[in-house]
Amino acid sequence: MTRQQRAGLAFTLPVLTVIALVFVLPTALALTLSVTDYSVYALADWANLSFVGLGNFRELADNPLFWRALGNTLAFAALGVPMAIVASLAAALLLSDATVRWKPLWRVILFAPYVTSVVATAVVWRFLFNERYGLLNRALGAVGLPGVDWLGDPHLSIPSILLFVTWKVFGYNMIVFTAALSAVSGELMEAARLDGAGPWRRFRHVTLPAIGPTLLLAAVMSVAGFLQLFTEPYVMTLGGPAQSTTTILYFMFDEGFKWWNLGQASAVALVLFAMILAVTLVQVRIGRRREWL
Amino acid sequence: MASYVPSRRAAIVGAVAAASGGLAGCGRRRSPGAIGFWAMSYEGDYSPILTTAFTAATGVPVDHQSLPSTAAHEKLLTALAGDALPDVVALPNEWVGEFAMAGALAPVTDPALTADLFPGAAALTRYRGRPYAVPWSLSPQLQYYRRDLLAAVGFDAPPDRWGEWRAAAIALKRRRPDDYVVLMYLNWWDTLFTLALQAGAPMLRDRATRGAFSEARFAHAMAFYVSLFELGLAPRALSTEIQDPLAAFGQGMFALYPNSPVLLLDLHRRAHLIPRERWAVTRMPGPTGPGPVSSVSTSLAVTARARRPAQAWMLVRYLTTVPAELRLQRLIGKLPARPSAWDTPQMRNPLLRPFVAQADVPAPSPDVVEWERIRLEVQLVAERVVRGLATLEEGLAEMDRRADRILARRRALVDAGRIA
Repeated sequence: MTRQQRAGLAFTLPVLTVIALVFVLPTALALTLSVTDYSVYALADWANLSFVGLGNFRELADNPLFWRALGNTLAFAALGVPMAIVASLAAALLLSDATVRWKPLWRVILFAPYVTSVVATAVVWRFLFNERYGLLNRALGAVGLPGVDWLGDPHLSIPSILLFVTWKVFGYNMIVFTAALSAVSGELMEAARLDGAGPWRRFRHVTLPAIGPTLLLAAVMSVAGFLQLFTEPYVMTLGGPAQSTTTILYFMFDEGFKWWNLGQASAVALVLFAMILAVTLVQVRIGRRREWL
Repeated sequence: MASYVPSRRAAIVGAVAAASGGLAGCGRRRSPGAIGFWAMSYEGDYSPILTTAFTAATGVPVDHQSLPSTAAHEKLLTALAGDALPDVVALPNEWVGEFAMAGALAPVTDPALTADLFPGAAALTRYRGRPYAVPWSLSPQLQYYRRDLLAAVGFDAPPDRWGEWRAAAIALKRRRPDDYVVLMYLNWWDTLFTLALQAGAPMLRDRATRGAFSEARFAHAMAFYVSLFELGLAPRALSTEIQDPLAAFGQGMFALYPNSPVLLLDLHRRAHLIPRERWAVTRMPGPTGPGPVSSVSTSLAVTARARRPAQAWMLVRYLTTVPAELRLQRLIGKLPARPSAWDTPQMRNPLLRPFVAQADVPAPSPDVVEWERIRLEVQLVAERVVRGLATLEEGLAEMDRRADRILARRRALVDAGRIA
């Protein structure tokens, strides 16, 4: 081993050790757990632990709640990603307009929800969503519309929570889009205007191609984020009503920590891992094709 | 969205770390000489008042942690796996068997501690014939009611039989169509299980290895429960939706409020919302009169790996004395677990008479570690039926299916003769 190699090893070894201890080892243990029936009985007596092979995955496939949680998660992602992206992009476009004044102030105000505590804001939004006394229903009542049971109707609970999540997270992508928009060529925009392109066509053919990579990246990151939704339903609805907001991560949390079925919970973790890995692979593949990764 | 990324990894890593038990050591107490004490909800919030006197008398400091009851089960299990349990825990009686089986609790060896108890509470704190916790407080479900609203439809108190009780509720609803009559959260199991206990439903069968929820008595209770929602008497609401139930009770959003003695504290603290003369409390109705009800009574246990067991037992002994239990009753409303405490002027208060009557009725509870989860699952299915997502028959069959799934592990161990 050369001196240079030794020095390299000395620098990387501490980090590699830490990664091995806090990432590789736990992941390997989780893999191991997912093929056992580790439960509260095994916690009491190791003799109650046995190898079940793919039994946990078979049980998951038989469990309607797992499929419901999976469906809820996909619904959250399918509805939430467009909502969050459109809100961020719209805010960024408004903010990048030359006629807007006090831009830093607006940016801070719109970004603030992203850096506030999820639990505190979720509690406030629960008050806003209250069927009888909430601000939202008061506002609807003021314009003569009937009130909506935002969090109590199993069909509306996902959109209601998404309203909150969108408000909470759109500021982050808004900042990213603001940065991307500042790179849109002013000359190109001017030329398009002279050629008689309206606002929509300028957006479609000048702005969109310029921020395309950023948009795609934001979309893929958002999908990964929405697949891991947990805190919002946990604080706002406890997974209800009628388990309509129980996400896959919530399901895993309940199985693993509340009931200590860690074998089963590890199996769910692996499924979630596979889903997010798939999303990431798509992201990398698209990135390579467009040559911006 | 970046904020979600660490949470997944943390959850997975945490699961494994806690399971392997290797990375324990987090959550150690701050002051080294103190004994750790965890309690839930109001008991956790108010127990520092009780232990101040204990520390003054014995010189043993106590480190408190108050747990929210909705997150207590996972907190205790995680602490057990990570060897981070405190010296003393207060836990619902129904959990004692589960945590004793898991090896978390030390058996009670002092016979003086387990003398002078209500038989129902004493039975729940035994596991394989040995006591593992000392009953601390009783918290049976009773109904609080608005005297003025009931008087307006011609009742002094809610009737104590299901049929007449529902008829009175219908009369109230007719008089106040924009309000409800009774508050029963769709994600809380207590009222449904009170009705099931009143109906005498066995709930589990085959040596407690299978659900018995399709059985006629549970079906009867369930049908009555669902009818209260279908008639518009109870709101289809979760506990997360009604932020201030006491204020709603004060405004007459509902006139009957099944709850535990702890509500006495809220009613006392917030008397400006609902004056004392407007409410009273009585026992829950049964099919043919009052009977056993569900409760969230609490016991104190010393953990199996307590660092200072001698001092821990001193604390348990102190908190379960008659004067300490009476003090707790004055503070938060929960009733003393020692029958001798009931023969005092404090407990002869006419307001507490229905609680005294209820405390003598033991409520049977299946002695299986999965019971807590089964109860929650049954309530989840009941919510589906109430919301019209399943019929009553489908719901009852689904309850059995879910109970059977949860009990599969126990069934295998019972069949193998590993547990009774």
